[in-house]
Amino acid sequence: MSTATKPPGAWNAIRELPSNVWSSIFRNPLPSTDLERASTSFTNFFLHLHPVKVHRNTLRPIYTLGLGLISLFLFVILVVTGILLMFYYVPSTTQAYDRMLDLRGTVAFGIFLRNMHRWSAHGMVAVVFLHMCRVFFTGAYKKPREFNWVIGVVLLLVTLFLSFTGYLLPWDQLAFWAITVGTSIAGYAPLLGAQMKFVLLGDTTVGQEALLRFYVLHVAVLPAVLSLLIAIHFWRIRKDGGLSRPENAGSPAPPTNVGVVKMRLEPGAESGKRTVFGLQGFVRGPFTKVGNVPDDSVYSWPNLLLAELFVLVLTISVILVLSLIFNAPLEQPVNVMHPPNPAKAPWYFLGLQEMVSYSAFWGGIGVPTVMVGLLFLVPYIDRGTAGVGKWFARERLLANTIFLTMVLVNVIFIIIGTFFRGPNWGLVSPF
Amino acid sequence: MKPDETISRRRLFTWLSSVGLFGSAALAVISNLVFFKPRVTYSPSARFAIGKPEDFPPGTRLARDVERVCIVREGARMAAISTTCTHLGCIVAISDTGFACPCHGSRYDQDGTVTGGPAPKPLPWFKVSLAPNGEIEIDKNQQVEPGTYFTV
Repeated sequence: MSTATKPPGAWNAIRELPSNVWSSIFRNPLPSTDLERASTSFTNFFLHLHPVKVHRNTLRPIYTLGLGLISLFLFVILVVTGILLMFYYVPSTTQAYDRMLDLRGTVAFGIFLRNMHRWSAHGMVAVVFLHMCRVFFTGAYKKPREFNWVIGVVLLLVTLFLSFTGYLLPWDQLAFWAITVGTSIAGYAPLLGAQMKFVLLGDTTVGQEALLRFYVLHVAVLPAVLSLLIAIHFWRIRKDGGLSRPENAGSPAPPTNVGVVKMRLEPGAESGKRTVFGLQGFVRGPFTKVGNVPDDSVYSWPNLLLAELFVLVLTISVILVLSLIFNAPLEQPVNVMHPPNPAKAPWYFLGLQEMVSYSAFWGGIGVPTVMVGLLFLVPYIDRGTAGVGKWFARERLLANTIFLTMVLVNVIFIIIGTFFRGPNWGLVSPF
Repeated sequence: MKPDETISRRRLFTWLSSVGLFGSAALAVISNLVFFKPRVTYSPSARFAIGKPEDFPPGTRLARDVERVCIVREGARMAAISTTCTHLGCIVAISDTGFACPCHGSRYDQDGTVTGGPAPKPLPWFKVSLAPNGEIEIDKNQQVEPGTYFTV
């Protein structure tokens, strides 16, 4: 009887195959205890982006309004629908418009995909802007989150540029003249303006070269840049101690920037020249406490994940419904001889175009540069620490008022440009 | 050899390799910028013939939207005025008083001087000449002072 030395039977291996494969993929069973919940967040590639525990304030819908998440999910929808659209699109002045008609007429779900892509793009511009407003009005850009705000401003600009480059691709009248107007604004920049315009268009006028350049920027360069910046944006949220919250929310928070804590690991370590650091010592920001410490945090699994799932379903639902009801506009094919009157830029640039109608340099370059510059510098100018984590905190009345004024001025210009401007950019009544 | 001399040699090499690395990176960036600037464009030539002088009787004001230029003939004098709006590049249309831009409402008089709207500069005039084959030739690469006519 030598069964003891025999390897486990082949039969057993086959019998256990499904469960072995399953457990090799998923390290944890569906969690039922706190330890397993923590372990699930910690060991899963997709979940480890999340902290094991999050502060309750993070989950308050009324605090974040879910705007950052909605932006991300809209970007995901845009990538997916955009890749699908690429299968049928040709960036050629002679074919692009026909391909639009094909998408509308013959490609299965083509019109629906195009609608989803268009409405998500508009939505993303709006939601990213609102997200910035949320972060400002809750004072969430304060130390230690200054640089993440800067990355956020870059993300807004890249989002706008992505939308702008996508605008040309249908090669219809709207696209052609919006890009003609938009790139001329770039040409007004001092010193390098004309060069910049020439390099952007690849020619002296908007034509095949411009279409090809915008296409490559739109489908490859800018999405890659945006993805990288999103990754850094998220990473820094974690490293800066999670979402901002009121100082006294729940348990008293530790100082927000503790730097490196020296921890003596072995007796006599200080007697030598070297100081030994524990890895824990490098953790910045409010710590996540694990164990029986009274705090105000909950496990990410399932609380955060359910919240995210809810936002995802909501975002997709809204886009689906919009795409079922409204069709993305498509105007006449490009006619370089006859600009539509008035020729309007996309809605988010109409504020800019309205300002440009007063003065090309100041409206198109001067004021926008100052505004974007101020946005970049806000966290380094406004150094107060009061009122963080609260909507419209009384302590931040001045900053909030200035920001709100800037937002309102932009919105009013956009409304004027959209509804009150007619032929020759004259004032008309929309009623 | 003294120990600090060793260190300075190491520092020198560190410096040299840093300069090499960052210099190459800078060169790469510059060459990419050069790459992005096209050396050949595919748009129609900026110098073109428009026909015999007698095709344009005195008093002609003819906008050619393809070349974005307005042919003007007064008596025996001819000129070519740009119809690209100096504001944001739309095509201006001929109006009763001169030119009007449909995009942002810039207005110009008969000579292309700004009379209203956001346009910052007058419409440029292009060089007109007579080609050897007797056709009128316009060169959009060469601007002339407004009011400079070519006598046919």
